Amino acid sequence: MKNLTDQIYDKLRTVIDPELNINVVDLGLIYEIEITKLNDVYIQMTLTTPGCPLHDSITSGVEAAVVSLDGVNRVEVDLVWDPPWSPDKMSQEALKKLQT
Amino acid sequence: MNIQLNPSLNTETKTNIALPLSFILFSLAAFITSQFILLKNGDMIVQGIFRIPEVWMAAHLLLLGWVMMVAMGAMYQLVPVVFLTPIWSEKFGFIQFSISAIGIVGFSLSLAYYIEIAMFTAGLTVLGIVMFLFQMWKTIKKQASKNILTVFVGTALLCLLLTISLGILLVANLVLNNEIMNHFALLKTHILLGLAGWFTLLIFGFSYKMVPMFSLSHGYTMKRSIYVYGTYVAGLLFGIISFWIDNEIFLKLSFSLLFLGFSFFVIHIREILKKRLKKKLDRAFMFSLVAIIFGWILHLMVMLNVLFFDLSMSFIGIFTYLYIFNWIIFSIMGYLYKIVPFLWWTYRYSEKVGKADVPVLKDMVNDKLGVLLFYSFSISVWGVALAILYSSQAGFNLFQGILTILSIVYGAAIINVLRQYK
Repeated sequence: MKNLTDQIYDKLRTVIDPELNINVVDLGLIYEIEITKLNDVYIQMTLTTPGCPLHDSITSGVEAAVVSLDGVNRVEVDLVWDPPWSPDKMSQEALKKLQT
Repeated sequence: MNIQLNPSLNTETKTNIALPLSFILFSLAAFITSQFILLKNGDMIVQGIFRIPEVWMAAHLLLLGWVMMVAMGAMYQLVPVVFLTPIWSEKFGFIQFSISAIGIVGFSLSLAYYIEIAMFTAGLTVLGIVMFLFQMWKTIKKQASKNILTVFVGTALLCLLLTISLGILLVANLVLNNEIMNHFALLKTHILLGLAGWFTLLIFGFSYKMVPMFSLSHGYTMKRSIYVYGTYVAGLLFGIISFWIDNEIFLKLSFSLLFLGFSFFVIHIREILKKRLKKKLDRAFMFSLVAIIFGWILHLMVMLNVLFFDLSMSFIGIFTYLYIFNWIIFSIMGYLYKIVPFLWWTYRYSEKVGKADVPVLKDMVNDKLGVLLFYSFSISVWGVALAILYSSQAGFNLFQGILTILSIVYGAAIINVLRQYK
């Protein structure tokens, strides 16, 4: 049985950026995940650009995906622009997908 | 636990989809109608007679009904996300849409059939545009930190205000048969500010957001945009001065600066694209990039003509036509092919993200049809221009007929995106 953090990362891999067709974890959008003793989940994340038309959809999608996990109590998504997203935060798979 | 190193930003920037869509759907109808009217008036157009009532009607339906209304719709969608500030009043936006739509249809019809009420319908059109400018001013004013995009879009909006003010003066001159001021200087300033001031600066501004966004470019500098802005705006100012004092040196300087500014923009966009992560770009987006090349070629053509030849009326007519289609309309068509799927995806699937499978954006629009359409549009527009240049009625009928069909197919392709109800 995976621990809750791993389950959250797995679940977040189902949240896809519809423009790039890459999930938010491989895109490197998830900065930090912390879980309290009450299983409240705090997710600090960013987007590839501050003026992204999809930002409401993606952040609410992240929240919906994580809250659907068994054992998760409350989810708070903290969208930050500092530090800004950079390509080195992406996984090799994501980078490869973009460059083919 | 303290993980909130940076406070969350207020990102509630969603716009009621009906608002931008109303503008977009109206604009598509105006586009198709304008192409029919142009087809019907081919015999006059091929003779180089553009200043006739029905061609005025088609030109205003094309420029106000299609290009300006679609630009307004796109701005209702893009301004909140680009400037991270919600639209000031959506209710006001719907009223503005109704007034603009009635005004533009009424004004276009009155130019052809009821010139005596043109002042009234023009007034309605102007009211709609002024309301739009007020809405944008109230919205952009709230932007937390202004940037070069704000300067481009703000100047474009100022040019729009000046364009419509001069347009009113033009109508007053026509209706009252009274030379309030130099009619040709007024007309030339109206056209320059409308085409190069309003549309070009607007496309420059939004391209600086959309090009990096659609190509996922990172690590580029925005410093060159200041040279683009400074040079292009200086070109506009010298152009206006040259029209009013009838000075050839200023005119040559103006078009040289406009070309230089546009060249800076091309170089800058090329630099941004070199920093892209997304190697294979979407075809619709590439069409907008091709439009930039067309725009650059047209700026070069007009500069060379101004510098070394006397501008003939037929050249000005054909050049204006190509500028509107190859640069302004093609840019908008490419971006619209991307924007509408974004708009509809957000509306249909936003709530489903993280809960169910949702389509990716490229699956929502027919990319192959897009390629066919964009190639066909490019060929047909040049076909029409050459037919006018060589006064070929048959050539005009053929290419304008194709263009009319293509405008219907393009409209259907956009509407087809809205039929997805998965």
